[in-house]
Order: sequence, then C-alpha cells, then structure tokens
Amino acid sequence: MTLSLQRRFVTPGPGETVEEIAARALPDQDQGAAVDAIRSWNLHIFAMRRPPGLLLGSDVVFVEPPVG
Amino acid sequence: MYDVIVRGGLVVDGSGGPGYLGDVAIQDGKIAAVGRIEGGAHRFVEAEGRVVAPGFIDPHTHFDVQLLWDGAAKPALEHGITCVVPGNCSLSLAPLRAADRQRVIGMFQQIEEMPPAAFTEAFDWTWEDFAGYRAAIEKSLSVNVAPLVGHSVIRLWVMGADAQERAATADEIAAMQVMLRECLDAGAVGLSTSFVDVDENGRPVPSRFAQFEELDALSEVLGEYGRMLQIVPEFYAIDITIARIDQLAELSLKHNIPTTFSPVFDSTATPDNVARTMARVEEQFARGARVWPQMQTRPIDISFSLLRPSLFFARLPRWVRILRQPLEARIAALRDPETVEKMVADLGPDGGERMMGRLVVRGGDGAPAELTGRTLSDIARDRGEAPALALINLSLEHGLDVAFLNANAGHEVTERIGPMLAHPLVHIGASDGGAHLASFSTYGDTGYLFSEFVRKSGALSLEQAVAKITAETADIWGLKDRGRLETGKAADIVIFDAATIGRGEERPAFDMPGDGMRYVRAATGIDTVLVNGQVAYAAGAYSDARAGVICV
Repeated sequence: MTLSLQRRFVTPGPGETVEEIAARALPDQDQGAAVDAIRSWNLHIFAMRRPPGLLLGSDVVFVEPPVG
Repeated sequence: MYDVIVRGGLVVDGSGGPGYLGDVAIQDGKIAAVGRIEGGAHRFVEAEGRVVAPGFIDPHTHFDVQLLWDGAAKPALEHGITCVVPGNCSLSLAPLRAADRQRVIGMFQQIEEMPPAAFTEAFDWTWEDFAGYRAAIEKSLSVNVAPLVGHSVIRLWVMGADAQERAATADEIAAMQVMLRECLDAGAVGLSTSFVDVDENGRPVPSRFAQFEELDALSEVLGEYGRMLQIVPEFYAIDITIARIDQLAELSLKHNIPTTFSPVFDSTATPDNVARTMARVEEQFARGARVWPQMQTRPIDISFSLLRPSLFFARLPRWVRILRQPLEARIAALRDPETVEKMVADLGPDGGERMMGRLVVRGGDGAPAELTGRTLSDIARDRGEAPALALINLSLEHGLDVAFLNANAGHEVTERIGPMLAHPLVHIGASDGGAHLASFSTYGDTGYLFSEFVRKSGALSLEQAVAKITAETADIWGLKDRGRLETGKAADIVIFDAATIGRGEERPAFDMPGDGMRYVRAATGIDTVLVNGQVAYAAGAYSDARAGVICV
C-alpha cells in the first residue's frame, strides 16, 4: 500500500534550534531563507505559541509548504 | 437455578446482527445463556417491549477523581454506561508523588475544567503508585473502569520538574518504561499522551517535551501487553492531525498496538477536514496499522458565566487571567474601567459581536427572567454597549451569576455527522465524561446517538449503533470480556426503550465537592442497567450494588 503524498515534517532534536532544523532539513537553501520559510510554514509554533518559537521535542515541524 | 434472567426482550447482542426476541440468563456475574431459556432464577427482570443490549462503553473520560467518591460516575451509569476509560489526554492521578499533586491538580483545572476542591475535599489522598490508586477506587465501584495511565504523570514521576523543561535522557526513558510496566501490571489499559495541552500557567504539559523516541520506547512496552496508546492531536490543524496519524501508524505497526486519537470534530468552516482525516486513516488501516479516530455524537455547546474560568475564553489570555482570580479580586478587576477597556479591546474593533453576539442568556440563575433566551447582540443593542462590555456589565449587575450559552458551535449538522459516525473506522467516543464541568454536559452522548442518528436521521440502524458503542469499542480496546451478549462474557447489560432512549435537557447541578457546579443531563428511555450481573440502576434509581471492577 503506497501512502498518498502529505506534507513532509521533522521533529526537533533535544535542544535543537530552528536554525539547526533549517540546516538539517533544507541543506540546499540559504540559511536565512530556510529559517524564514520554516517559520512561515509553522505558525502553530512561531505565532500561536506562548512564548512564540518555543520548540518542543514532540513538535511537528513542517519543512515544506502545504501540499496543493 | 440462575441468579437472574432478563426475560422477553429484543436481544441486540452487540455483534451488529439483527435483534431477536429472547432471554438472557446470568450466573456468577457472567452471561450463562442467551435465547429461549427455560428454568428458574432468583430474580427475573422483565424486558418485554424493550431492547436488551450489552452495557455501553465510554472510551474517553476524565472520571479519575470523581470515582474516588462516586463509584457510579453519575450520571453516566444511568445512561447505560457500564464501563468508563479515565486517564485520557496524558493525565491520571497515578503514579504521582505527593509533592507533585498540586501541579497535576492545576493541569486538571486548566485542561479539564475541574475545580481544585474536587481534588482536596472529598477523599483522603493516600496513594502514590498506580496500584494504590486502583485500590482506592476499587472499593466502591458500581461501574467498570479501564484506566489509562498518563504520559505526563509518568514523566513527572521520573524527571520531577524537569519533565516540563527538557528531553529525557536514555536512563530516564528506561525508568519511564519500568514505571509504565508497573502501571500496566496494576491494571492500566494503556497510555495516554497529549500534543496540545498547557497547564494553568500556560506551560506545555510534560508529555509535550518528549522526543518521538521517548514515545517509541513507551510504545514498545505497550506492545509487550498489546495495550492502547491514546493521544490528543492538534485537532485545530488538519495537516498536523495527519502527521500525528502517520506517527501513530508507525508506532502501531512497529509495536503491534492499537492507537486512538481524539477528538475529531466536523466544522462547516473547514468542511473537508473529516474527509481528509478519514482518507489518511483508511490508508493507514490498509497498511495494517490501527489508528482509531474518536468522534463524539453531540454538537459542541459551551456555557459559561464569569463566576468561573471557561474554555470559551481560551484565546483571550487577559480574560483567562482575570477570571481565574479569587471572586473579590475578579469583581474588582471587572469594575476597573481601564481593565475593562483593555478586555473589550481584546475582542477587536467589533467589540465582541463576532465572538459573543450569538451568545444566549440561559436563565434560571441570577439573570432577569425577561432576558432568558435573548442573544447578547440583542441585549447589547438595547443597552447601547458593545457585546463584550454588555456581558461584563450584565454579569456585574447580578453577582456574576449570569450563564450564557454558545450553542451549536460546531459538529452540529446531523446530515453530515450521521454518515461519519456510521463509518466502519470511526470509533464513537470522546465524551470527556467527568470533565468541563461548568461548560457543558458530558453525559447523554449515547442516548443522543439513538435519538438523533437512529430514530431521527436513520444514519445507523439500532443494531449498528449498539455495536458501535459495545462490541466494536471492546474489540478496539482489547476488553475481551465486555461488549457482547454471549455466553461467558461479563453480564453488563442495559435494557432500554428504543422509541424513547435519549438525553434530557442540560441543567446545572450542585453536587460536586466545594463550590463545584456542573452541567448534567438525565437519561430518557433507560429502564435497567446491570453491571457484572447485578442491578446497578433501575426505574430511575441507583441501587447499592458495587459490582464494578477494573476490567482490563
């Protein structure tokens, strides 16, 4: 059974920062642009959470935009 | 000579097969025979014109604390519920060190809207481990209990305050595995975890600090026992929900465990979400994973007054802070013009019309009778105030004892919900029994299943509906002795009138410890409920029977 395509995501490692996630998940992109992209794809972490950007070990961090 | 014979009813045995006229004989708490039964019994229960079905199983409750003073989980039992699953959403009352009790009480208060007095005024808190909690509730159970153990409390046990600060070390994960084994040996039906909840200070609960590797290690232990993993996903965001389904599927396949997530709501604002959820669930089941979505039957109704904090204000942190203050300080804050100006501004330029305008005054409390049933939008217009300001001022004028109802706030379109509930992979549950006390009644969902989706819309047959909340639930949770009217199974039986089973009007009750108010609904159409062969409820009254067990 092949699963349909869904948004790719990673989960943060212990103490991992968004910059480190960006470098790991989007290694071919400019670092700043990759961080900005990850922030924009994960508003549940970087906008809705208090404090914004607090990364938790259980988080789903999307590394691509919503699948069209 | 049997102990009991239930005589002459329409036997709907939980299998989903057609009902048939017959009798059910009970001996030593078990079903001894089903069919046309000759012979005597010490007691006959007449069921002519009634349905005789297995007792209903409620797989998502928070009766953890109530069971310590109310072994019937009232009023769940009178609705035909003979087995409840407490300990959902990462929270249970064991294992828990005395030093951490207040922290967990705060979580129950914040997440499940349960008053602190419920945890401090009605029982002696004598245990720390899971076996001790089991012993504390087991003494006087009228209903059966299949308790989950919470991931957050296991984390607290092993890591202390660090449980809400960081990832666990390998040694700490190993210690959690040992503790989980101990809980499963002591009767836990599985493990619950949460990806969304925060404590009373807004801090994520301990389970949310866990790496996936930690959950994987705990699931490995569940696999040794074949027991359940329950999660609360980020149900407000479909892409994250699907990611959680995939994580659960991975764990289910790797460790051969059942998993379930709740809640799954329908909303006309995001009409495709349930379909997308179910499409992914179907794909994962086709791979062999067991990822059961739990869906409630009832529409989302939320009531509140400014006497207590409410989840209605969850997205308004300033309101939450103010409403959590002691009464005098709260009233002082609500009388302070500067504070109120900020509170109203929090609602945006429409002064709360969009969020609060459709609220209805419930009545029956401190509110003037002539306001009962009127919308806040209407009242605010008469007063010449913004809706948020009218809500505050009207409440202040009546000692804050004015209840508002936000009705049908989602999951309310019967024509949409019925086919969803009938889907073979949808697990009917998510009642939240015993929680959200002053927000809505968590009792009567099973009655509503029959009144709304069997009798009114016909989305499910009587037999399908019974199967969904009995045999199918027992199979999903591995409750081998429950859920069917078969020889040798536990004699958990509900006798009801198919024409009238339903739920009564939601009404406030003042039967909780301390100043605890809760909303409840009475059952309609339920004649008799037997738990392990003993009549626990009949003709509108609870018996003294205490036949409930921990039923893993």
